[in-house]
Amino acid sequence: MSIYGARATDFLPSGGLVMVVGNYGSGKTEVAVNMALRMSERGAGVSIADLDIVNPYFRCREARDLMEAHGIRVVIPPGAQVSGDLPIILPEIKGMLRPAEGRASIFDVGGDPVGARVLSSFREHLDGAPYELWQVINSRRPFTGDVAGCLRMRAEIEESSRLKVTGLIANSHLVGETTTEVILEGHRLAREVSEAGKVPVVFVTAMAELADSPELDAIDAPVFRIERRMLPPWLRACDEREDPTMPAARPVPLGRAREF
Amino acid sequence: MAKVLMKGNEAIGEAAIRAGCVHFFGYPITPQSEVPEYLAKRLPEVGGKFVQAESEVAASNMIYGAAGVGVRVLTTSSSPGISLMSEALSYIAACELPVVVVNVMRSGPGLGGILPAQSDYLHATKGTAHGDFKMIVLAPASVQEAVNLVILAFELAEKYLNPVMVIGDGMIGQMMEPVEFPVEGVGKPLDPGNWALTGCKGRGKRIINSLYLDPEICYRHNLKLTAKYEEIRKAEQRFDTYNTDGPYDLLVTAFGMTSRIARTAIDELAQEGQRVALFRPITLNPFPYEALRAAASKAKRVLDLEMNMGQMLQDVRMALGPDAAIDFFGTAGGVVPSPDQCREKMLESISKTGSRPKAKGARRNP
Repeated sequence: MSIYGARATDFLPSGGLVMVVGNYGSGKTEVAVNMALRMSERGAGVSIADLDIVNPYFRCREARDLMEAHGIRVVIPPGAQVSGDLPIILPEIKGMLRPAEGRASIFDVGGDPVGARVLSSFREHLDGAPYELWQVINSRRPFTGDVAGCLRMRAEIEESSRLKVTGLIANSHLVGETTTEVILEGHRLAREVSEAGKVPVVFVTAMAELADSPELDAIDAPVFRIERRMLPPWLRACDEREDPTMPAARPVPLGRAREF
Repeated sequence: MAKVLMKGNEAIGEAAIRAGCVHFFGYPITPQSEVPEYLAKRLPEVGGKFVQAESEVAASNMIYGAAGVGVRVLTTSSSPGISLMSEALSYIAACELPVVVVNVMRSGPGLGGILPAQSDYLHATKGTAHGDFKMIVLAPASVQEAVNLVILAFELAEKYLNPVMVIGDGMIGQMMEPVEFPVEGVGKPLDPGNWALTGCKGRGKRIINSLYLDPEICYRHNLKLTAKYEEIRKAEQRFDTYNTDGPYDLLVTAFGMTSRIARTAIDELAQEGQRVALFRPITLNPFPYEALRAAASKAKRVLDLEMNMGQMLQDVRMALGPDAAIDFFGTAGGVVPSPDQCREKMLESISKTGSRPKAKGARRNP
């Protein structure tokens, strides 16, 4: 059985370009990494690019070993630059803008309009090619707790990226203190933003521990089961619990801990 | 109020606002830049003032000036930036002004790197800048505790008219945890007392100055400050313990985030019948020497864990004396110890005590 459980995941594309945007700490990286793993599991050839030029820690490069163990191509700055806070855009990124048939590209974009600005340099290269630009929303984050805040964030991201948001991801959570009520509240907000902004809710995320709760049946959008991958160093990843379908790779969240 | 999910840096900014501080002067540096970023957005909403200074030197002199006119004020930075701010902190301490400074530490020395470290312990607690002065130094181990300690920092700064530093490694600035804020206005308006420069119409003039050319007056000023630090030492020591109720063979000392990693290892070892306890100072200055001595008296050995090359270790040694059996494990450069590494070091220390594991399911605190 898939680690993602019984919930349907057909809403994830089998190819094409998906860019994940949103405000700081909305959960873009966690969503992008989980999407990459799930899409790869379903047979797509997946490349993921860490375009986070804003956040210094907890970036998807931290889950590199895990994703590479699943055959996912991880495009991140080389060598020591990986632990820098420099705006590095690799030449490989341009090749990812138009993925070949059966391949998918995921861009994990930095937070806020300032993080999304990097996308504006790709518009000419995209030249009308299809893309998805999904805005991640966590209703429990500052500045995006209401419809006006989410629409403002969207407008600012669209302005700085020169691209259009094509879908919403409801990702409301309080990490370990998440309840189904928090998820439902996030779904309600995403629906209101969807109606006001005329873009669909692509999916609603639920942490693995809550994904099978019957309360979530009330959600009229796909529910995507999320395994937490971006962990502080004192927590252990799901791979270290019992999970036969995953290799025993573990994201080392920050600097590689070893003795010299 | 519903819990919200916040980055440590954002929560620090919001906590200052809740404490009634609506003036911020600072300069961006990774990994604390979200504090100014957040406050640049939030302070205009609450009628406050945000100034991005031209440098850390300028920012720290701006808080000196703002505090001097009786305004509650915050600055934040990260290690190299704090070095630049330090000169003004000596002046602020000399003039007995209340300011709060947050240091979200990164690795050093020099520019070091942007990843987390705890290597400014000695700088914060022993030698921030020239002259005989001390700051109160508070070290949170969670985002919620960072909120609580920022609010406490303003209270203490105003109670003792002294700079207070809240110090955490880069992780506490960058990680996200659910937090709750005290409902409204914890911070009453700052009492300008008999020191703030508020305009001397109808009263005698006040002067804020740290130049004392007469040695006797300067000496007396130092004695006055020393008496205040002694009062702080007696009244303000704070610490936390874990697993200290039952018997234990090993006592781990760690502050801030390192204590969280240590707790994971301690819990796992408890499952194997190993009895390990934790002592976590919350005030790095005043350091809780007596409380540590009491906690260590029940253990056969002490293991100090830090993300530096052995800085709090000096205080642990001072507390326990030259004959105490103290081991040390530290990482540096932005490398964070893993629970497995901490566990191995704990087992090494335990093996030196000659203790055998006790029955499984040994007693644990909730």
